[in-house]
Amino acid sequence: MKILVTAKRVEDAESKIRVNPQGTGIVPEGLKYKINPFDEIAVEEGLRLVAKHGGEVVVVSIGGKEVQEQLRHALAMGAHKAVWVNHAGALDQLAIAALLAKVVEAEKPDLAILGKQSIDDDQNQVGQYLAEFLGWGQATFASKVESLESDAEKGKHPGVMLSADGKAVVVVREVDNGLATVECQMPAVVTTDLRLNLPRYASLPGIMKAKSKPIQELTPAGLGVDVTPKVVIQKMVPPPARKAGIKVPDVATLVDKLKNEAKVV
Amino acid sequence: MRAVRASTNPLLSDRDVAFLLYEVHDAPGLLELPAFAEHSRETFDLFLTSVRRLAREALFPTYRAMDAEPPSFREGRIRVHPAMRSLYPQLVELGLLNATRAREVGGQQLPLTVFSLASAYLMAANLSAYGWLGLTSGAAHLLEAFGSPELKDTFMARMYRGEWTGTMALTEPQAGSSLADVQTRASAAADGTWRLSGTKIFISGGDNDFAENVVHMTLARIEGAPAGTRGLSLFAVPRLRPEEGRLVDNDVQVAGAIHKIGYRGLPSLVLSYGERGDCRGWLVGPPHRGLSLMFQMMNEARIMVGLNGVATASVAYHEALAYAQERTQGRTLTERDATAPQVPLLQHADVRRMLLRQKAIVEGGLSLLVATSRLADLATHGDTPADRERAALLLELLTPVAKTFPAEKGFEANALAVQVHGGYGYSSEYPVEAWLRDQKLNSIHEGTSGIQSLDLLGRKVMAGSGAALRVFQEEVGRTLARARRAGVEAAWCDALQRSVDEVVALTHELGMKLMEGDADGVLRHSAHYLELFSLVAVGWQWLAQACAARDALARGDADTGFYEGKLCAAQYWVHTELSRVPALVALCRSSEDSYAKMKPEWF
Repeated sequence: MKILVTAKRVEDAESKIRVNPQGTGIVPEGLKYKINPFDEIAVEEGLRLVAKHGGEVVVVSIGGKEVQEQLRHALAMGAHKAVWVNHAGALDQLAIAALLAKVVEAEKPDLAILGKQSIDDDQNQVGQYLAEFLGWGQATFASKVESLESDAEKGKHPGVMLSADGKAVVVVREVDNGLATVECQMPAVVTTDLRLNLPRYASLPGIMKAKSKPIQELTPAGLGVDVTPKVVIQKMVPPPARKAGIKVPDVATLVDKLKNEAKVV
Repeated sequence: MRAVRASTNPLLSDRDVAFLLYEVHDAPGLLELPAFAEHSRETFDLFLTSVRRLAREALFPTYRAMDAEPPSFREGRIRVHPAMRSLYPQLVELGLLNATRAREVGGQQLPLTVFSLASAYLMAANLSAYGWLGLTSGAAHLLEAFGSPELKDTFMARMYRGEWTGTMALTEPQAGSSLADVQTRASAAADGTWRLSGTKIFISGGDNDFAENVVHMTLARIEGAPAGTRGLSLFAVPRLRPEEGRLVDNDVQVAGAIHKIGYRGLPSLVLSYGERGDCRGWLVGPPHRGLSLMFQMMNEARIMVGLNGVATASVAYHEALAYAQERTQGRTLTERDATAPQVPLLQHADVRRMLLRQKAIVEGGLSLLVATSRLADLATHGDTPADRERAALLLELLTPVAKTFPAEKGFEANALAVQVHGGYGYSSEYPVEAWLRDQKLNSIHEGTSGIQSLDLLGRKVMAGSGAALRVFQEEVGRTLARARRAGVEAAWCDALQRSVDEVVALTHELGMKLMEGDADGVLRHSAHYLELFSLVAVGWQWLAQACAARDALARGDADTGFYEGKLCAAQYWVHTELSRVPALVALCRSSEDSYAKMKPEWF
């Protein structure tokens, strides 16, 4: 089978992220970048499915040439080939989904596995748009019961597996009141939640092998997609600084303040 | 009270690692050598990313548990902490066992320069867990270098694949530093193998229950061999030996486990060879050449121990730094208002002194280890024979320094990390005490500090009429020329220049005394000489870092805080450590004989 996965380049959450004085974006200096953690889980899930059923994993990223770092990382984890949609400017979620739809049409995967959202903008839209554009079924927020899987659990009850006839994908989804299992005819779109798996670390042999794996370059124009943003970021502001707390002398004062000042009880 | 912060300890500063690799030690320059042509900055960075994640996410969270529950010795076997069962395969999967080795043995020929920095994260996270890997890798490398094709197939390949582990078995109850007194015996058997008998002690990683087998690289004396170190041969002695397609007991028994104060995840064992007369060993290399072959592993291990020392000081430094930023205590000296809020520890000048001292030791020591590792890369893979020879000379000179400085000064840094924590630091509720215990071993194993000082003064600086020292002097001179051009403070440059000149002059003088036959008088101060040399070598590294920091500030790098911190640490080293050079030189030069003339009964 063929699985397409995404690897968006995002700021490392350990970096200090500051909004620039003009409020037009964040200060890029001193930032570290990595694969969006949700996408990394998508890459891992793709690799596990292919290890079980055979086939290949194609990893896609959209952005300037720096996103090749994330593609190379996914290749080092074990993905077989990479597609780079070269576009340096701003993109909204519709444009990203439209570009991915074109890549999917060209690659014809059985499954497209995406992170449910990315940790920079936290939009949670692309997977759903992509399914709509393709007219495919979708299973979002793929998850699993165990929060931390042991080696034995790994692969025993995967959150994403194929049906007995191999024509559908069975996905355990995280929903408000627990977990729901859905079956989706393939081809389908699956988006991943954090508890689905623990992604592997790229090994040194994997890193060396990745050097000779191909990265195919595409452009929005070549794909015939107009990426003019329909959603424009007007302004960015940092959240207000937290004020220092106070100590109250006793419970009575606390209750009084909660009642009369905060008005929450 | 539990230190919940422990999980956010970075172990090493990623920024510092990038600085050392790309701004100070020119890792990209190594890519021009044919041996490393398949690498790139991208492969280095991806590898570092994987390793630091494994260190932070898997090794570090199990450190306290492995310290609290050391391996147990029951029914002749060692049971290690169950966490090792998943940690060891994870270390192996990353390709760490043979990362720096050639393709022919499954390696990726990664420069040691990069590998050393990567491994420091693992050591800082969990010294014992890394110990299993380091020992196995070193033992397998011995077989790779000197073993027969059969030995490589049987032992080395399985060790590099992570199926079997390895040890170095030198020490005996009566022969620790004095290897000349090793008594384990080997007698030739009709089948071409050897029968071993004897006892080894302090064998780290001598048994475990997570790998199928252990191979002990053992020094023993063949029957009739000359006394002393020239009569020692090297043998591969497995716990289980392959026989007719299966593994059978090879009569190497665990006779006891040492109760250690640190490094508690890695058992230190007494091994008894051949109690039933059925212990088979396979000779590695020619007979009677064991010790010189073993020196390959020992020299690698000495660099590894140096890294252990830096890493153990580093994790404690970062713990103390975070604590000093968070913990409030007292007010500034000029604050008169007793009701004013307390200030973080870091506001107090003496706490800042302790933290800057730790930073100077950790980052200066790490830079020295990177420099040493780079020399090891050049000594093996340098462009021309002259390049390789020059690098090898300096590598040999710096090895005892790179091994000892982090152990001795690292212990001091670890003590400072406890001190910064105050009374809490002296409790087992906080992790800093554990690193203090771990660190102490580093001045003892792989050649004590005393042995290293004799190696430096008695051999390394004197060999070839001081050839290695001349290379050192030239390299320091190059750094100084660059530093002066970069605008590093002239007073710092002058101080380093003076220090090196004094060391060279002193060494010539001591060399003359040695030739006059006064070995006792000269070597009596070997420990002071090693300390002196270390201060200067680390001073050299601080000037190299100051030079890179000045360059970065001159080109307008926005990360000014990082570089200003480097310059403060360099200034600190010049003013508090290089200033001690004249006193140490005077001591080494003097005929000061207080402890030499002490009679046993006077103590």
